[in-house]
Amino acid sequence: VPTFESDVCVIGGGITAAMLAKKLLELRPSLSINVVEAGRRLFDLENRMEYRRRSIIYGENAWPGDFIEDQNAAGTISRTMAVGGSALHWGGTCNRFSEEDLRLKSVFGLYTDWPIEWHELEHFYCEAERRLGVSGEPSPLPEDWRSEPYPMPAMALTYNLIELKKWGAKSGIPFWSTPQAKNTKPYDGRAQCIRCNTCLICPTGARYSPDFTYKQLISHKNFGLFDQTLVRRLQIDDRARITAAVAVHRERPEEKIIFHAPVFVVASGYTWSSHLLLLSQNSRFPNGLANTSGLVGRYMCGHKFITSIIEIDAKIYPGMNETHALISRQFFRCKPDVPYVRHDLRIWESSTGREPRLKAKNGVFLLGDDLLNDWRLRAQRGAARVRGYYDVHPDRNSSLTLDSDVKNRWGDPLPKIEHKLDEATVARQAHTSEHFNRVFENLARNDNGRILNTSEGRYLDHPAGGCRMGTDPASSVCDSYGRTHDHENLFVVGSPTLPNAGCTNGTLTFVALSLRSAEHIAKEFRSVSKS
Amino acid sequence: MHRRTLLQRLTGLFGTLSFVRTGSFAQAGVFTQKQRLALIDLASIVLPSALGKSGFEEAAMRFDRYVREYHAGADTDHGYGFTHVVPKPSSPFAAYADQLSSLPMPVTRIAVEQALEKSQIKELPRTPEGKSVIADLMSFYFRSSEANDLCYRAEIGRDACRGLAGSERAPSPLRRSG
Repeated sequence: VPTFESDVCVIGGGITAAMLAKKLLELRPSLSINVVEAGRRLFDLENRMEYRRRSIIYGENAWPGDFIEDQNAAGTISRTMAVGGSALHWGGTCNRFSEEDLRLKSVFGLYTDWPIEWHELEHFYCEAERRLGVSGEPSPLPEDWRSEPYPMPAMALTYNLIELKKWGAKSGIPFWSTPQAKNTKPYDGRAQCIRCNTCLICPTGARYSPDFTYKQLISHKNFGLFDQTLVRRLQIDDRARITAAVAVHRERPEEKIIFHAPVFVVASGYTWSSHLLLLSQNSRFPNGLANTSGLVGRYMCGHKFITSIIEIDAKIYPGMNETHALISRQFFRCKPDVPYVRHDLRIWESSTGREPRLKAKNGVFLLGDDLLNDWRLRAQRGAARVRGYYDVHPDRNSSLTLDSDVKNRWGDPLPKIEHKLDEATVARQAHTSEHFNRVFENLARNDNGRILNTSEGRYLDHPAGGCRMGTDPASSVCDSYGRTHDHENLFVVGSPTLPNAGCTNGTLTFVALSLRSAEHIAKEFRSVSKS
Repeated sequence: MHRRTLLQRLTGLFGTLSFVRTGSFAQAGVFTQKQRLALIDLASIVLPSALGKSGFEEAAMRFDRYVREYHAGADTDHGYGFTHVVPKPSSPFAAYADQLSSLPMPVTRIAVEQALEKSQIKELPRTPEGKSVIADLMSFYFRSSEANDLCYRAEIGRDACRGLAGSERAPSPLRRSG
């Protein structure tokens, strides 16, 4: 049986694993690290312009080969499994949470608090922004203080966003440029953004993706990257320490591969981290590893979102930079004595309701100039896509479970995610909807605005959870560093450890927490790894 | 333009695109000259007159290239939120070729409308989907960055990599805006 030894074995090859491994090697260059990832490595930057072209023209997958046919989870929001993970095709949005997200219980009497102080997290936010290369404009709100400037100036607002910012300001809501992991100048060996309008497949590398970090890491003599290698189980010894990760190579499915290490880190995202722990059942831990609390795969979280398309008089030219948006954090805070609602607010340029159409309202075919004239008529006024990601809290039974009816080729049951919100969240839903209607109507009062439609998202976005952190082993899976309460040498990092998903994109927070874990592991390696 | 001259020009135009990367995907068929002429004729009816004769030819040529470089079975985007793994269906070439051959020459607006009725296409497809060469040619053009510029009479260049400088200004007026 092929067996590989290292000091630290990281399971999962996404953005948090990349950041953790890089920092660990910086802090302790003598450590050896193996990263084991089920998907393949897609290190072909040179082909991305062509992938982009085919994605635009044919609707083909811009990241060919970035998923595994028989390794899917019901309820997941992305199929991507590759070295780099979902952050291969992320939009690069790097918003921070706010202190309120960490103090729900103590400030609002809701859900739970995080076992970490905001000041400490803020320090790691700065580091995450430096490592990812974030371009941003500081929030004008004093509550959004930051201890360091953004590493790069903000992405320039396009003409469209300047118009939309003026429109938004008329309603009394300040908007500014959304921070993003996109280079507004050459940074960390990667090029400056050239505004290709296809950030999901950045053909130049101006938008950060973890493949760049992995390409740096594999040149390090102490780093090993094992792609297409699916870890199926973790094994323990009689002291409940993890001794091995048992894996298979996807191209040699009969061949077992063993990874040994004194320290294991599960960095497999919100789906596959809990899944692996639940799969790793044994006589001592019949419900899976790290699961004495019964909370592995519980408190699966994310946030809801509501979107409104608002037509306005301003001239908007769709396509100037569709993935860049304005943000307001005005609604990140909520007074404790008023009905609770917290959310971010974003504005994008939009072409909704003004696309070319084949038939007029009366059913007549529109051909040639008729179609163009009809299109021009409907496109005279601009449109804005306004969205708020709002804070919701998970019920204990918001779960990831093993679905014994759906198995991969090795017979392992695959995960099934079913989100469920807690009672308090459900009870305030009507108020939340009314609040958003007021916000959208307030915006639409200006510039002769008209709300074309408003819709609720049908899934929880920017999902997280499943191994939530806490101080009490009875109500959490791991501590604030991701160290599991049940196994002294097993860490979980990134999205699974979040108790709740805040009300804005989570990646920067996943990375900040992972960097904090890396620092802790580096510092405590000797004591954690001792046998 | 005389038909023979046009055919010679077409041979040049379409011929330049014959060496394309096909990867491991099967090469779709190649339209006959008659079908190519029908495609140009069709373009002159369903695309904006502002394109002019050369614009119709170019649009037809690009569509022809689209068909030839089509990769049946290629993975499509697997989505976000609700995921789905759906490979690209088989090449639309054969259906297109049949439909082009059955169009009257010269192509008439009535024939186009009848064919659209017959195909039961109700909306402009998001991307060409292989049911109707007419709707797909229209989709191919009207969903393009070029058509977006024409609609807004501005050089937006949605699908181009344009750099950040100057993006704070409104796009320049389109030189040929129809």
